[in-house]
Amino acid sequence: MKLKQSALALMLGLVISSAQATEAKDIQSFTLKNGMKILVLEDASIPNANSYLFWKVGSRNEYPGITGISHFFEHMMFNGAKKYGPKMFDQTMEAAGGANNAYTTEDLTVYTNWFPANALETIFDLEADRIGHLDINAKMVESERGVVTSERSTGLENSNFRTIQEALKGVAFLAHPYSWSVIGHESDIKAWTLDDLKRYHKTYYAPNNAVMVVAGDVKLAEVKKLAEQYFAPIPSQPEPEAVRTVEPEQKGERRVYVQKASVTSPNLLLGFHIPASSSPDYYALDLLNSILSQGNSSRLYQGLVDKELAVDVFSYLPMSFDPNLFYMMAIANPGVKAADLETALIGVINKVAKEGVSQDELEKAKNQKLMQFYREMETINGKADIIGTYELYFGSYQKLFDAPKNYQKVTPADIQRVAQSYLKKSNRTVAVLDSAEDKDL
Amino acid sequence: MSHFTKTPKAAALVLLSSFVFALPVMAEQAKNQSSFQLPAYEQLKLDNGLTVFLLPQHEVPLITVQATVRAGAVNDKVAGLAQLTSQALLLGAGGKSKAQIEQMVDFLGASLNSDGSMEGSSLRADFMAKDTEQMLAVFHQVLTQPAFDATEFYKLKARQVAAVAQAKESPRMVMDQYFNKLVFGAHPYGNAVSGTAASLQSISQLQVKNFHQSYYQPNNTAISIVGDFKAEVMKAQLQKLFASWKNGAAVQQPDLTAALPKAEKAKVLLVNKADAIETTFSIGGIAIKQDNPDYVGISVVNTVLGGRFTSWLNDELRVNSGLTYGAGSGFDRYSASGTFNIGSFTKTESTQAAVDLALKTYQRLWDKGIDQATLDSAKAYVKGQFPPRFETNTALAGLLGDMYLYGFNQDYINSFQSKVDQLTVAESKRLINSYFPKDQLQFVLIGKAEAIKDIAKTYGEVKQVEITADSF
Repeated sequence: MKLKQSALALMLGLVISSAQATEAKDIQSFTLKNGMKILVLEDASIPNANSYLFWKVGSRNEYPGITGISHFFEHMMFNGAKKYGPKMFDQTMEAAGGANNAYTTEDLTVYTNWFPANALETIFDLEADRIGHLDINAKMVESERGVVTSERSTGLENSNFRTIQEALKGVAFLAHPYSWSVIGHESDIKAWTLDDLKRYHKTYYAPNNAVMVVAGDVKLAEVKKLAEQYFAPIPSQPEPEAVRTVEPEQKGERRVYVQKASVTSPNLLLGFHIPASSSPDYYALDLLNSILSQGNSSRLYQGLVDKELAVDVFSYLPMSFDPNLFYMMAIANPGVKAADLETALIGVINKVAKEGVSQDELEKAKNQKLMQFYREMETINGKADIIGTYELYFGSYQKLFDAPKNYQKVTPADIQRVAQSYLKKSNRTVAVLDSAEDKDL
Repeated sequence: MSHFTKTPKAAALVLLSSFVFALPVMAEQAKNQSSFQLPAYEQLKLDNGLTVFLLPQHEVPLITVQATVRAGAVNDKVAGLAQLTSQALLLGAGGKSKAQIEQMVDFLGASLNSDGSMEGSSLRADFMAKDTEQMLAVFHQVLTQPAFDATEFYKLKARQVAAVAQAKESPRMVMDQYFNKLVFGAHPYGNAVSGTAASLQSISQLQVKNFHQSYYQPNNTAISIVGDFKAEVMKAQLQKLFASWKNGAAVQQPDLTAALPKAEKAKVLLVNKADAIETTFSIGGIAIKQDNPDYVGISVVNTVLGGRFTSWLNDELRVNSGLTYGAGSGFDRYSASGTFNIGSFTKTESTQAAVDLALKTYQRLWDKGIDQATLDSAKAYVKGQFPPRFETNTALAGLLGDMYLYGFNQDYINSFQSKVDQLTVAESKRLINSYFPKDQLQFVLIGKAEAIKDIAKTYGEVKQVEITADSF
């Protein structure tokens, strides 16, 4: 392991040492009078560009009765506006050589476009039309309910994680809107009204509630001119109301069981409450996440898969505006009981809290972060995504370039401290997905 | 990472695995009007027959090295042998244990992966340029001197046996294997790449060793290396490591052109998943092989039918009718044959409506054909979406590996745009009539058999199997 020092040095000098890598000064930003912030990264490595529009609205802005509406709204944004009617958004974009997608999370709704650089104006025209003049058509709403119901079902049919996570969240959160899944309850998908949707658009799709990132073979001046022309005329709106509910502290373990007949061995998911991503503990938690499950030398692989208790393991730390959950999942080896898998999984976690991690393990996690950073910076898509992510979750894209330093500062003692503070029984929810009916023996 | 809580607009189009490859290797597009060119690379052959591709890229200080071996499920004597052999490469090599190799690779932030597919097996390492020497050394050992440690081999087998059963919890994961078996039957392209629980269970350490010896030979392998290096230095390093790798007995390859089946009648494979809440379906047949000279035009036609969001299938089944979250179509190509299929899913109760609408929409290729405006749009789309496909070291290394596996070269990439540009409405008609299976269509329906078996009968001769059965 003699390369430790050079890996470290490289990590610290990461931005300067790599000949062609993107630096903070390569990112330029401006804010329109209506409050929309736009970040631009000029990068001519391929003759393409992309745009990411981040709207600060997700399932955390919902309440019972309209759960899933943020995601449903994401679909409605493709269903017609004033200049470009139903279907024309996609038809126009694809005919210009562009493709798009969109996704909704607990915190954000994000619209992505990937296009040949010469289609930039078309993209601005299409986006401005649906932001400023969306036509929420009753017939389209009905058809889209079928699409989203199918999306919900196909997730549950094909992904055990979807099924078990939905159940776990419902128990881990008693008060905060992170309690329901992003896709929402089936009954809500069938029930929300045209007025709900109109109000949602007006409140949240205001330019002052958005950040746009454009990366690729474009020039700042060109982006500025188009933004002034297409986006500046869209009026700002009052700031949306803040999410008021704070999840009360969990005071004891919670449990949930889900039956699904086709599951071939027990699936186990743990969730521990953790602070928002803006917390200084984020970097230690993220490194702990790597130590637990990245690569076959990780704690969970060694403690569960190598010991033939699980066939697969992972852990997941979402980026999040509000305090959220740190997830750990294991899928049992055939013949291994859920209870035995649970004991082993908790044993691996408690060992970190009790004994801490080695310096080598921590260095490994830091090297893995560095590699991950470079891979994000390999494509214009990765760059736009990561720049926007830091702007939204950490308050500024500049923080992206502080990340190496923030990761570097973390010590083994920090890892042990966050494990002790958060990964404890009273703060834990346990979910089991298995084929047998839950019944008294 | 964050995909766990994301619910995207159109993930389904991407998730249906065969459509990912609807436009695989072919290239085109470029700085507005000029034509896209593959970045300059060097191809050479060592004295032992090992093919080497070198393609320097300096955007980030990373390197990908991939070995592509001409051995896959078509070479299986026991189902799953090629894939299991590729996975078993990682169980220790060159005097280092599995755990020691993993420690070393993980510590560098690097990764080492292997996989076996229908006609090729691959080993790939991704690492930081400063770690080249260490990573190439371990890559060389894993590829050429795997230990196939007995204890680790037993554990790997147990994991894979469980994985085969788990894959069947998700219809989408296993659809292609059922479809291939239905259309190719006993031909090697009908082989289940993953194997079955029983076949995997029966594979011995010796069989894996023999498979490795028979196919992992320098004259049956290419190494493609892409990333932040100097070609001259890298060439010397590879030469030093791999020049002494020796060939064994002459490699035997099956004649895949022999006994290719032909669909005699419409058939339905009904796969019962008793707790299914939706029906997942695939419709199509045998289609074109890898080197079909008309492939670029065919892929443009497929873009109109089922290769993008506004495609006819997605427009009808999703946008107009709300029957599904996504519908599409695509070609999977192998060296001697291939498949075409239409795929979607819908709640159990709307199975007939969705399948009928998919068939009706498919028929439009012949009834109405493609008009000029739609063709122009599809041409712009495939050109515009091309460059990002080859933006990463990993993607370029994979492309070079495919060139070796299927015997095409950069001309194929560099002429892509002009081939797209040449496609006319009249030509699209010829492509539709020549290459899209029209009659004796083959169906796989995975869902609740009790509820859909009568519907299944209306499409052809039905064979019903249980998804839990240990076969495809």
